[in-house]
Amino acid sequence: MLDLEQRWELIDKIAKRTIKFGKYRHTLKDAIAEITVKPLTGIPIAIAVLYGFWAFFVAFAGFFTDGFLVKLFDMHWLPWLQEVFPAGKESWLYYIFVGDPLADNCFEAFGMLTSGLFVVIGVVLPAIVAFYLVLIVLEDSGYLPRLAVLIDTVLHKIGLHGYAIVPSILSLGCNVPACTACRILETKKQRFIMRTILAIFIPCGAQLGIMLKVIPETVGWVILYLLAGYFILGFILSRIVPGESPELLLDIPSYQRPTFSNVGRKLWVRTSSFFTTAIPFVLLGVIIINVLHLTGVIDWLATGLGPLLSGWFGVPKETVGALIVAFLRKDLAVAQLSAIEMTKYQMVTSVVLVSIYFPCIATFVMLLKEGGVKGFLGSLAALVATVFLYGGLLHLIWILLGVA
Amino acid sequence: MKNKFASVYFSIFGLIVLSLGIAELIIGIAGRSFTWGILEISGEFSLWKGIILFFVGFFYLSSVKNLNEIHQLAKNVMASIMLWIIAGMQIFAMITESIPGGEEEGWINTWEGFLSAYSPPYIPALILLPFSLVTVYYVYAREK
Repeated sequence: MLDLEQRWELIDKIAKRTIKFGKYRHTLKDAIAEITVKPLTGIPIAIAVLYGFWAFFVAFAGFFTDGFLVKLFDMHWLPWLQEVFPAGKESWLYYIFVGDPLADNCFEAFGMLTSGLFVVIGVVLPAIVAFYLVLIVLEDSGYLPRLAVLIDTVLHKIGLHGYAIVPSILSLGCNVPACTACRILETKKQRFIMRTILAIFIPCGAQLGIMLKVIPETVGWVILYLLAGYFILGFILSRIVPGESPELLLDIPSYQRPTFSNVGRKLWVRTSSFFTTAIPFVLLGVIIINVLHLTGVIDWLATGLGPLLSGWFGVPKETVGALIVAFLRKDLAVAQLSAIEMTKYQMVTSVVLVSIYFPCIATFVMLLKEGGVKGFLGSLAALVATVFLYGGLLHLIWILLGVA
Repeated sequence: MKNKFASVYFSIFGLIVLSLGIAELIIGIAGRSFTWGILEISGEFSLWKGIILFFVGFFYLSSVKNLNEIHQLAKNVMASIMLWIIAGMQIFAMITESIPGGEEEGWINTWEGFLSAYSPPYIPALILLPFSLVTVYYVYAREK
């Protein structure tokens, strides 16, 4: 045990070895840090950074998916499985595990071992890795808090503040950790708004990866439409939900170079959680949907919900299967949509519907856990109203444009 | 003298970048493509690349007055970083497209296919990239 004098001596020693005294000099790093938070210069920089984010995501995911994994699954895995699978091609086991015996690609086969594995490993995994890699670099470099400051004014319009950018961006990877990240916001009102709008309007990385594959030309418009919905619903909720929306007080760290070991460790933690949460849900989702197809439940539901789907939303009644799957995994649902015959506009509406329709089951559980029963029911009410109004609105736009 | 030369250089360079940014922006909005010699304006994200390039040019031009001052220099450096982001992502996309083979070639691209991925025409940011590296020299020289 040290007495008081010894403690002060120790403090002096540490201070002498760690603190440098001198005249403060404004460095280039400080000046760059300043201009990245000023709106006039910061917004163009943010556009460039987000462009870089997206361009890396597309190139990285495309390299693995289109470059190698599509070939691996379509030219080797699928033919091999179709040849060696022990059950006959007419059997229900074959239908569930391998899918359509005439399919020549894993995307359309829709068996658990074909489409299920292809979606998870072939499409979603590269997208998730690319997304988290860039996100971690932005986090560790110190740019993310600056983005929070920059976007603070805009987010105040929807009852949130700059730090809401953290769950929003995290949500582009996966809605589940994003729901937990909503705790970063101070009040109950802010947390409720954030959880609700991210669960409805932000597509996860898995879904983005599949969207890029299924509707590459229109994915930009879909995201723009979802982004508009994010702000519209946020604005409405901020007006009707009681509670406070306090100001943001944020300590901004200086810019620093991310270290390989930190980036690697974080990337491993985040992607490994994808393996444990996503893979079982995707594989289970394919089994359930194939069983529902075999037992005729999908046809029955499609007939029952047909008038609503084609009348109100303007999409084919066959999309009902994808909407059921969407409750388990949204990426799988978008993949299933690609196998349904429809126009380009119907495809965009279907993808939007899958995105804003019930969040996946894992996000559902998080909404309940984080918001309690009352918050969960509130989010659910907002969700049902949004699906009908926003989905119908898109159909109306197509009608007015004369394409529906 | 060195400072004056840098100001003149970045004024001219800024004007060129700004012009190319406006051109890319207009072509992006029109959804057209344009090729002139080794320069090509087309493809995905033309509109966004145009917007960024426009601001890069604007940052360069606004930094030339009293370039030696730290805040002005920061604008210049940031403009170069924005340009490097577009060019860097284009180079990364070229690399990722050059390695895998097509449906007939097998897993890895042929030597000819690999090289052709790097052949011109190039997007404006890629052509402007070497000229923006003067910023690095200027910062280095200033530090010394």
